[in-house]
Amino acid sequence: MLRFIARRLLLSVPVLLGIIFLVFALPRLLPGDPCRALLGERATDEICDAFEVRYGLDEPIPIQFGIYVGQLARGDLGDSIRQGRPVIEILGERLPVTLELALLALLLATIVGITLGVLSATRRNSPVDVFTMFIANAGVSIPVFVLGLVLAWLFGVVLRDTPFALPPSGRLSAALVPQTIPQAWGMEGLTGPLRDILDFVSNMFVINGLVTGQWAILGDALRHLVLPVVALSTIPMAIIARMTRSSLLDVMGLDYIRTARAKGLGPRPVVLRHALRNALLPVVTIIGLSLGALTSGAILTETIFNLAGVGKTLTEAILGRDYIVIQGVTLVVALGYLLVNLVVDVSYAYLDPRIRLS
Amino acid sequence: MRRWKAFSLTMVLGLIVAACGGGPATSASGEPASSDEVPPAASTAPSSGPFEAMAYPEEPADCEYGGEFSQIRAVDESTVEFELCYPDVAFLSKIAFSSFAIHDTASLENDMVNHRVLARPNGTGPYMISEWIRGDRIIMQANPNYWGDAPIAQTLVFRWSVEAAQRLVELQSGEVDGIDNVGATDFETVENDANLQLLEREGLNTFYVGFNNHPKIDGFDMADYPFANEQVRQAIAMGIDRQRIVDEFMPRGSVVASHFTPCSIDFACVGDEWYGFDATAAKAMLADAGYPDGFETNLYLRDVVRPYLPEPTVVAQEIVDQLKTNLNITATIVVQESGTFIDNADAGVLDGMHLLGWGADYPDQTNFLDYHFGGGSSAQFGDKFDDIVEALQVGASSPAAADREAAYTDANNAVLEHVPMVPISHAGSAAAYKADVTDAQASPLTNEQFAVMGPGDRDEFVWMQNAEPIGLYCADESDGESLRACDQIQEGLYGYEIGGTAPIPALAEECSPNTDGTLWTCNLRQGVTFHNGATFDANDVVLSYAVQWDVEHPLHIGRDGSFTYFSALFGSFLNPPAAE
Amino acid sequence: MTAVTAPEGVRRERPASLWRDTLGTIASQRSAQVGLVLLTILFTLAIFAPIIAPFEPTQVLRDVSRREGPSLAHLMGTDANFRDLFSRVVFGAQTSLQIGFVTVGFAIVIGTVLGAIAGYAGGAIDNIIMRIMDVFLAFPALVLAIAIVTVLGPGLINAMLAIGIVSIPVYARVMRASVLSVRGNDYITASRALGESSTGILFRRILPNSLTPLIVQGTLGIAGAILEVAALSFLGLGADPTTAEWGQMIGAERNQVFNSPHLILFPGLALALSVLGFNLLGDGIRDALDPRLNR
Repeated sequence: MLRFIARRLLLSVPVLLGIIFLVFALPRLLPGDPCRALLGERATDEICDAFEVRYGLDEPIPIQFGIYVGQLARGDLGDSIRQGRPVIEILGERLPVTLELALLALLLATIVGITLGVLSATRRNSPVDVFTMFIANAGVSIPVFVLGLVLAWLFGVVLRDTPFALPPSGRLSAALVPQTIPQAWGMEGLTGPLRDILDFVSNMFVINGLVTGQWAILGDALRHLVLPVVALSTIPMAIIARMTRSSLLDVMGLDYIRTARAKGLGPRPVVLRHALRNALLPVVTIIGLSLGALTSGAILTETIFNLAGVGKTLTEAILGRDYIVIQGVTLVVALGYLLVNLVVDVSYAYLDPRIRLS
Repeated sequence: MRRWKAFSLTMVLGLIVAACGGGPATSASGEPASSDEVPPAASTAPSSGPFEAMAYPEEPADCEYGGEFSQIRAVDESTVEFELCYPDVAFLSKIAFSSFAIHDTASLENDMVNHRVLARPNGTGPYMISEWIRGDRIIMQANPNYWGDAPIAQTLVFRWSVEAAQRLVELQSGEVDGIDNVGATDFETVENDANLQLLEREGLNTFYVGFNNHPKIDGFDMADYPFANEQVRQAIAMGIDRQRIVDEFMPRGSVVASHFTPCSIDFACVGDEWYGFDATAAKAMLADAGYPDGFETNLYLRDVVRPYLPEPTVVAQEIVDQLKTNLNITATIVVQESGTFIDNADAGVLDGMHLLGWGADYPDQTNFLDYHFGGGSSAQFGDKFDDIVEALQVGASSPAAADREAAYTDANNAVLEHVPMVPISHAGSAAAYKADVTDAQASPLTNEQFAVMGPGDRDEFVWMQNAEPIGLYCADESDGESLRACDQIQEGLYGYEIGGTAPIPALAEECSPNTDGTLWTCNLRQGVTFHNGATFDANDVVLSYAVQWDVEHPLHIGRDGSFTYFSALFGSFLNPPAAE
Repeated sequence: MTAVTAPEGVRRERPASLWRDTLGTIASQRSAQVGLVLLTILFTLAIFAPIIAPFEPTQVLRDVSRREGPSLAHLMGTDANFRDLFSRVVFGAQTSLQIGFVTVGFAIVIGTVLGAIAGYAGGAIDNIIMRIMDVFLAFPALVLAIAIVTVLGPGLINAMLAIGIVSIPVYARVMRASVLSVRGNDYITASRALGESSTGILFRRILPNSLTPLIVQGTLGIAGAILEVAALSFLGLGADPTTAEWGQMIGAERNQVFNSPHLILFPGLALALSVLGFNLLGDGIRDALDPRLNR
């Protein structure tokens, strides 16, 4: 197992370097003088000289790359041009919003997706199957931004005066100001990495509300999250449902299932006790891969529902030509994606010994 | 700020270390985020000791530099004198503007270089900034030591959404107490809702199509650049059906612009009226100018809803269609981000046409014409027109009404002749509030004062505007969304009357001119403290102006260093950089 | 897939019947049927757009009000600029099909060439090409596309190029896998022994065998490309406001979703149905060609 992990890590290194290089190359591919492309046409010569020294732009490319990697290793992603503060600080504020949204969406997608997939596979070719698979197909076909807008319209306007009304934007009702976890736990004096992590987590209002018992915050945050989470979860949900179905069908054709059936086990225990466990293996991979769709979707969802997460930061940065922020966000998203895939691969190998040996 | 760095290493970038097998090669702690010249944290203790009156510059500046101020000096702790190079009839209206708020000396010295002043300004206003959750909201708390009437709502929250419909939904659902810029189609919805009140705002604004007659781009090819030709600009002035734009695309209460400045402002509508719409004549004139088949160009805009332009891209497409139909000019729409667009416009690098507008800061011709076409204006329209600049200088420095009228007649006619832009409309707009909000306002200057509004039985007032403020050091901001937020936190020597336009004393008890109007003496309010507890005195006034005024002042930094309003309102910076 | 291993002489006979079989199987799939119907409508709209649409997509109408709801004269109502929404949606079919085919075409050409080179050459070249592909795959598609558009500048062509670039690795992988699966086969060895050139082998022997997975992947890819370019347009990075492009139309009017939902619903529906069509067909083809899932 350790050897597998080591090999898998080794394989990630070139990809990691590639990612960093691509992100590094991004602003250098912009037409014209990089300083003026980054800082705007009015950057004076002095500003540009200082800029070039800071980013080592007067050095040869390989050395520049080395400098960039060095900055990354120190956690320096540069300063936002628009906001005049470190990108890492901006990410620290906004990453929790996206993580919360994405994790809840993934949770919903997994639960509903697997349920639908099992239903569909066990009732093969029945109307339930056809209907479920149609829903799954429709799910991957409806653009997130269309679904998001339609949901906002339905629950924000059409159902406004009914019990089903849901807030179409924002994270919390304005009247609510959540305490951070250190505040709620009376640990205001706390400093250091633990404080950072707690502050980071505090910005995920659902978790914050749960661990600190701020039930009003929890309920309100959840109400605000329903629409974006549903909009965001459709595509991964559809993918997971389809994957569950086809992999369950594969497994049910295998000998040991037939044996189990021959032993006289009913269809339900067969599916639940034997087939599903093996069928879920490829599903694990798909859940990991769904993170790509989730990230892409989060960019659109956050824009529609006015959520200040990483996706909205990215779109704002694009409109603001804030290349340093674009660079930083792209890098962090790619690294996160790489990390998740690594974890997925390793856990897959752990679950299925055949992978390890091949 | 630095905490995220430490965290980042473990959380995000730890992978690099792990993958490279390097182990904890670099320490996560230490090292300031950006510059290593960051001074130690602000000491908030008010300085004691004898008052040393400051004068800036030490010797009065030579008025040759072209600006309005010659010297700003503290006479004693509570008296400031402004020595001017030329009389200014709008002086009080100008110093009342949000950009000239007074900041604490120590805060400026400590927080400017590290940009802290952009996010946590230290003012004297009724609210103090409590938390700015970027991208989401700004929370302010009532200033317990406020010198004026205590704010009614203990907490003031600023939120924003670019979408009018979303703002309205938030108001209807009770999430917010007031919203800016009710959508053009929603006026009646609000009026018919017993839980809401609609406050219409007079159109003290102008929406225009600007031309850049000489793009400030290195190596730009001016040969065959159509907008360098006055006739081309005149042809377009005639070839746009402005009435249709107002009728179809503007909210209730909007009017077609007869002059650049809205007519309710003194001397705004003297001189000839704008060209009538005449497509045939326009086409003929364009042909005369050498473009019988039209030409291709760009139409720049920002996709930001402003009171003067509720639907930017829609109106842009209408104008593109009109240009094509009436003049066979093919314009390509280029949408830029708000800040970038404004920066580019000011820098004069938008080659072609652009859609922009203006909302009054103070109701005077100088705020409209001088800001756009005066000697201190930006390169937005390319090269300036000497006759306009001269007429405006006369208008701004003549105390007598008859002289001002004559000067503005000349200025308006010169604008009509040169067509640096085509004024389209003065747009009405409206704010909406919950019905139980007391003293709700829709300020013609769009600087609503929330301290005097009562949010019904709630102790928190939530305001939702169009966009997030860019920064809260408003000496270096120029967008209304930032300025409105600044107005709650900071104050100048003067302010504007609530819901109106007249300048009224704020941090000054009174400012009065000498007989020829070149020396203004301000007696300052005493016993005022900044949010951090520091005492307000005359030196704070001198420094707050000096950092804006003098380009070579070490604290002349701001957000991007443009200090647009200072040069626009007071003619020129001291020690301006050499012209390019 | 028996055809893959069949000897040269027989192979020539097989494709026709294989194709006929395949088409028959595809046509008998319920989802593929629905997909085909949707796509037929889409293609009809696109090809006959000038006939079907009562107005030009950019024509500003003078006798209507803005953002009018649907009526007999204007089936989907009018938009913010007095244009007939139905006409714009119809012409949007043209735009979307062009986007789908051009983008995927671009990605397939580059991807297959890279994949073929990698699979055929093997060794270091294979490693380099595929590691680069891995790097591209390491980004979520939209994020990488946004980064590319940032460098290229916004615009429909650039958005398509960005999505095209992002899609390359998928086809490269498919192609490489096909090449590897047939490289060691007897008939390839035979061809080589007979003196056929490498490129000859590649184009005449290997490429035809990888067509099926490419078609499946391509059909699904078109759906993805349409969706992603629309997303870029929605974010204001793609088509300019005058172009009749569904994503752009939705993005431009998203403020109006509460007042004039028809401006979102109709282009949204068109977009979703087109994507659904390609997805259903792609699935149908895959199911038809994958014996495990048959019946």
